[in-house]
Formats: sequence, structure tokens, C-alpha cells
Amino acid sequence: MKSLQQDTLENWLRQFNLLNDETASIEKITRLDLSAKGISTLPEEIGLLTNLVSLNLSNNKLTDLPSSMKSLKSLTNLDMRRNLFETLPSVIGELSLRALNLGGNKLTDVSVLKNNNDLRVLDLSANLLTCADKCLAEDSELRSLNLSFNLIKDIKNLALRLSNLERINLNGNLLEAIPSEIGSMQSLEVIEASDNEIAYIDEKFFDLELESIDLSSNSLTHIKLYKLENLELLTLDENPLSKIEFNDDFAPYLKEFSCDSCQLEEFFLPPSKNLHLLCYSSNHLKNVPEQIGEYVHLSELDIDKNFIIDIPDSLANLLDLNTLYVEGNLLSEEAKKIISILDPEICDIKMKSGITIEKAQKSDLPDMAHLLSILFRIESDFEINYNKQLSGITTLFNAENTDLLVAKHEGSVIGMVTMQRLISSAEGDFIGQIEDLVVKDEYRKMGVGSRLINKIRYIAQEYEYKRIQLAADINNDNALRFYSKRGFRRTNLTIHHF
Amino acid sequence: MASKQEILQMEICECGEKNVDQAIEIFQNSALPFKKAKKLVTGCSKSCCRAALLKLYDMNQFGHIDYDEIGYLINQRLERIKRLSEES
Repeated sequence: MKSLQQDTLENWLRQFNLLNDETASIEKITRLDLSAKGISTLPEEIGLLTNLVSLNLSNNKLTDLPSSMKSLKSLTNLDMRRNLFETLPSVIGELSLRALNLGGNKLTDVSVLKNNNDLRVLDLSANLLTCADKCLAEDSELRSLNLSFNLIKDIKNLALRLSNLERINLNGNLLEAIPSEIGSMQSLEVIEASDNEIAYIDEKFFDLELESIDLSSNSLTHIKLYKLENLELLTLDENPLSKIEFNDDFAPYLKEFSCDSCQLEEFFLPPSKNLHLLCYSSNHLKNVPEQIGEYVHLSELDIDKNFIIDIPDSLANLLDLNTLYVEGNLLSEEAKKIISILDPEICDIKMKSGITIEKAQKSDLPDMAHLLSILFRIESDFEINYNKQLSGITTLFNAENTDLLVAKHEGSVIGMVTMQRLISSAEGDFIGQIEDLVVKDEYRKMGVGSRLINKIRYIAQEYEYKRIQLAADINNDNALRFYSKRGFRRTNLTIHHF
Repeated sequence: MASKQEILQMEICECGEKNVDQAIEIFQNSALPFKKAKKLVTGCSKSCCRAALLKLYDMNQFGHIDYDEIGYLINQRLERIKRLSEES
């Protein structure tokens, strides 16, 4: 027989449609999503959910939690981000949590957490913390810690407690240095510390086995890089750097190195010949070193917005280079010739500017009908017939609940996509059927297709379509890859014509 | 909670003096990766508005814009700026 407390809790859950009559047994509840329900207090009876493993309380108006929550012995995952907590309820310290999200509150003190020895993942981002060391046990087992967008000025004591930590996010704080105590964080693999005021990095930092470092938007004017033998990714964007020094032993497996928008006058090459991406965009570079040709694995090189005139012949050795950004330099004709020989798949100086995405006009219809021929040449189910295509696209143009977009360059239609409204009995509402996405050959690899599909999805959202769908030829690998990269999921349905 | 129209008019980048609506328009008219598309909005290399702009860029890439989330991120940054200026 149910107790009065059980009835109270069940009724409270029913108001959020979280308990239907068939499964109306609070003992069976292991996961509960109470996010964004406008809740300002939880009922004391919540402690009856003794089998609860995961509780989502995010995006509410909570300032406190009932003490009965200490009975939630199975609870390991608690999401309390974006509430109104100014102090952390003491009951949190009595739970055996493994993952806790407290991001986006107004917390200034989280010392309650020092009792949570089982915590592995902790998110304290976007609070008002000036230090976080008091919140962690001396021998913390934490693996991932997010302290981004707080008011933390130093991490000396914090670092000493985090020997097991693998990932830390310190973006958007007030750090001025990476201190020697960082050497205690022996398990650290990923550090994000952008948007601070870091001007000094202790040498202990370079002994760590880090794989990824983001130090962008700091105050580094000079950096000497050595060791870091596991490092694969280093981002130093938006620092007032005038000099980078590389030791020969620095990051032998480095794959990505970025120094976007610094103040470098010299093109420094990291020792790792394994480099795939190199970015020196928006600096004051005048030359590209001849040795660039030795970086044969380079697939993306970004040196736009510098003062480069000449490019070494050795650049033509980079056969894997498929993306090159060089616009905004003072390139000589010889340099342009080398780039044209290299002929990377994506290159900003080959891209045409001024391509617009617009709603199709009646005068665009003949061009659109011609464009469909390109599509039907690839799709074996269709035959090219200009008159039928013009008739079809004109009917679509004149029909209600249809959208026809064109990409135009210098007044000519160079790409198109259409969408028509359908009713889905499965969704119980309107959906959008996307068709006829095509871009002229000479305008491919310029992002025109992406822009068309992004715009049509934006329109679908405006109409509140429950879903958008499209069909693609199973032999059109490019199209299948394109849609997959943009989040379209292949279904089990096939199309049958009669 | 602010309406969609109010959020569209919120300034997302002070340097580039762009509101959310203008930033969406710029992202829709660009096929560049985020770091470059961001510069089209901001006109600078600063990162002060990066959190909201990055989220908006990703949302645009996946064709669904969560206006409440963007509004929240902008307000969060404004609150932080205010707090930092009060403390200094």
C-alpha cells in the first residue's frame, strides 16, 4: 500500500508528465529529467527515489535542495547547471556522486565538495569562484574538471590536489601564470586555458605528458617550447607573441600548431615533421621558409593576412596539402604560379567572392532547369529533359508551401536547392522535403552547397517543421558524404517508383 | 525570458557592433571555418564574444538555432564584465 508521501511525490511528478499510470511506481525510476520546468523547490519526498541513478535539475530556479536527498544512495550523476545556487547545499556532500554539473550558478564557495571522494567529473564553470582548491579532497580522484569562466587568479594549491586529473578547463579566468605546482598534475592530458592573462609558464609544465594545449588569448610575448613529448595539438592564437623558440626535442608527434593573430615577424617551424595543420594567419610574416617542403604530411596551411610576397618552390612538394589560405598577402606572380601548380582542393584565392544565397525569382527558373541537368546526369534514376525540368521547377515555384533558393554569382544562378512541405503521420505534423541541391562544377569546394543547406534548414526551423528529409542517389558518394557531415542520418527506408 | 525577436536584436559583439540577427546573416553567407567566420563578425582578433559566437556558428552549421541559449550566453558575459569592472 502506498504511503501518503509516495502519493505526494507521484502527484508532483505527474504534473510534469514524468509518471504515467502504467509505470506508476517510483521505486522503478532510475533516471529523472526535471530540466527546464521552472522548479524553485523540490519536495522533501524526493528522497523516496532510492533507485535513482541520474537526476537532471538543470535550467530551473533552485536555491536549495531538500535534506532527504541524502537517501538517494544510488545517485551517481547529478546535473544542477543553470540554477540560482549561491551556496552549495550540504546534502551534496553526503551523496556518492561520480559526475556533478554545477555550471552557471552563482557559487562562491564549494567546500562542501571536499567530502565527495567518488567524484570523477566536475563542472563548476560560469560561477563566481576565486579559488577552487578548498573544494577538493587532498587525494582527489577527479579525472575531468571544468572551472572555465570563474574569477580564479592562481592554481598553485589546486594543482597539488589533482594528481589524477586528465582534463582541465581554465578558460576565461584571471590567471597570470602557470606555476611550478602544475608539475604535480602528472596525469594531465588536456589543458584549456584560453582567455586568461598568462604571461609566464613554469618549466615544470613542459615535463607533463600533455596531448592537447590551448593557451589562446593570453599575454604571452615570448615562448620557448621543449619536451612535451606526447603533444599533438598546440594553440597559441591571439597572444602578443613576437618570438617562438623550438628545441629539437619539442613534441615529436605534434599534428596541429596554431598561432593565429599574434605579432610574429618570423615564420618558425616546429620540429615535428608529422604536422598536419599549421596556422600563422594574421601575423606580420614576410617569408615562408624553404624547409616548409619537408612537412610532407601537411594537409592544411593557413598563412593569410600577412606580408608574404614570395613562396618557396618547395611548397609544391606538399602533395597532401588540400587546404591553403593565402589571401591578404602581397603575393608575387611567381608565388601565384606555385600555388596554381600545387592546386589545393580548397584555396581562398581560387574562391569567388560575392556569391549570394537568395530566394529564387521567376526569371531564375530557366537557369535552374539547366542546373537540374547536372544533377540528373549523376542520378541514374532520372533522364535529362529540359522541358520537363522547366515545367517541374515552374510548378514548384508557383505552388504554396515551397521554398526555392538559388546561389548567385555576378547575376548568374550557380547553385540551387528546393524544399516543399509534407505532412508526416509519424511526426504528427509538417516536415520539409529537400530536393534538387546542386552546384555548378566550377563553383564546387567553395562552400556554396553548405550555405544553401544551412539556409534551407534555417527556413525549416522558422516554419517549425518537425523534421527535414531528402533522398540521395546511393552511388553519389560525394552527396552521401556531404549530407552525413552535416548531420543527416541515413534511414532504412528506400524509395520505390511506380 | 526574452522573446526571439528581442534576442535577435541583442548585441553579440561590441567590437564589430553586430547583433545576433546580423551574425546569423554573416554566418549563413560564409562557408569559412569558425576562426575565419568569427573575424567577419568581429572585425578583430579578440576573443571576448567567442563563447556565444562559437555556439551560434555551430547551431548555424546544424541548422537549428536555440535563441534562449544564445541569449543566456550573451547575458552571462555581460554580467561577468559588469562584475569584473565593479571589482577593479
